[in-house]
Amino acid sequence: MPDHTKNDQTSNGMRCNEFELLLTEAIDGVLTGIGLDRFQAHARVCRTCAPLLAEAEAGRNWLKGLTEVEPPASLVTNILASTTGVDTQRLQATVRSPQPRISWWEHVQAALFGSVLEPVWETVRQPRFAMSFGMAFFALSVGLTVAGVKPADLREVSLRPAAIRHTYYNTQARVVRYYENIRIVYEVQARLREVKRNLAPAEPGLKQTRPAKQKDDKNDTTQQPEQKQERNYSQIDDHLILASAPLGPSPSVFDGSNHDPSNPDLPVVSVTTYRRFV
Amino acid sequence: MEDVQVVAMLVRRCIAGDSAAWEEIVQTYSRRIYNICYRFAGSGDDAQDLTQEVFIKMYRTLPSYDHTKGAFVTWVTTITRNLLVDHFRKGKQDRMTDSMDTAASEHEDAQPLSEQIPDQSAPPDAHVRSREVSESVHAALAKLSPELREAVILRDLQDMDYREIAAVLKVPEGTVKSRINRGRAELARLLQRTYRQVM
Repeated sequence: MPDHTKNDQTSNGMRCNEFELLLTEAIDGVLTGIGLDRFQAHARVCRTCAPLLAEAEAGRNWLKGLTEVEPPASLVTNILASTTGVDTQRLQATVRSPQPRISWWEHVQAALFGSVLEPVWETVRQPRFAMSFGMAFFALSVGLTVAGVKPADLREVSLRPAAIRHTYYNTQARVVRYYENIRIVYEVQARLREVKRNLAPAEPGLKQTRPAKQKDDKNDTTQQPEQKQERNYSQIDDHLILASAPLGPSPSVFDGSNHDPSNPDLPVVSVTTYRRFV
Repeated sequence: MEDVQVVAMLVRRCIAGDSAAWEEIVQTYSRRIYNICYRFAGSGDDAQDLTQEVFIKMYRTLPSYDHTKGAFVTWVTTITRNLLVDHFRKGKQDRMTDSMDTAASEHEDAQPLSEQIPDQSAPPDAHVRSREVSESVHAALAKLSPELREAVILRDLQDMDYREIAAVLKVPEGTVKSRINRGRAELARLLQRTYRQVM
């Protein structure tokens, strides 16, 4: 900037601010005549404006040396796509002509493989991942073999809802049976039942109802097979036994008054047992 | 530079929905706008984004263009300049003109511009030298304050006259001339240490 306070006006009558206003026109070459003479005279004598003229000219030359930069080839296409949303037919033709037609499936494949599968595939290709995957597969196959699952069985698996429900209940029943057949389980259950029976108070009505209960369960031969045989062929404590005849030659043993000496054919002792069958 | 009637017709066709007219406008002005953005922003990527933004804004506000109020190129340049100023303010890149010995920025290894500008004493090739000179001038231009930079870009790179520049910058012609002079001088001072023989 010229120092206007120190050298505001030269002998040719031009002020520094006037010089600055004419500077652009002088550099552009449009300043002519007496105006140009006064301008050049001021530039010769003014120590502030002379460097300004030189620097401005140099700066203009530097800038004029800059060439235009080439915009990217896709700029127009991007602008049209961002403004109108679609490319024009000519642009579409120029863009599509060198490229083969790509089906939608290839687009989907490219999108999937590019965005999703590519990173996964990069990970899978690493040896440590392959080793881990192999170990996991081995463990799974061993586990299935131990569990009794065969791949051939899977072919016959029905996936109907009813079949799935049936399989579920079958599996559940099998598990419950397995659980209850474990020795420690049924021993604990037996102990618990015993403890419960001991702790429970005796109920008098229970004996009275027991025969009725047995009567109800008379057809059940699975639980008490021996009891049924005894019911038919053995004597129970409640059965009544009757003795009805005098025995032997010594009637005095029982009752001497009832002895009949006139009947010698009578046996010496006669015991008749009347069994009341239930 | 442009036939006012032809451009007015083009704009009317574009407003009516003629995509070919819009494509013609884009083809005609994209290079110019890209160069303004490139010289102002200093980066090709930023210039591309800004150029797209300029055309998006132009596409939306095209019905507001009145050919009786000014040339279409002035209107387009005004939109460009306003967007560049907005971009500059958003980025808080308000860097005043730096000295040659000050660091260019925190991201440039704290190297002064005089060291970034290659020494031309022994250029291996004229083409390489020319490219290096261009890069040096471009880097020095980015050091100017935005007011001086936009003025010299519009005048010396886009060849706009002072009246058009005054319309774009919305300042008087005297202010435009003053900014141009100061911008040129500042640029020369930034470059003179390396390129003394030009001075």
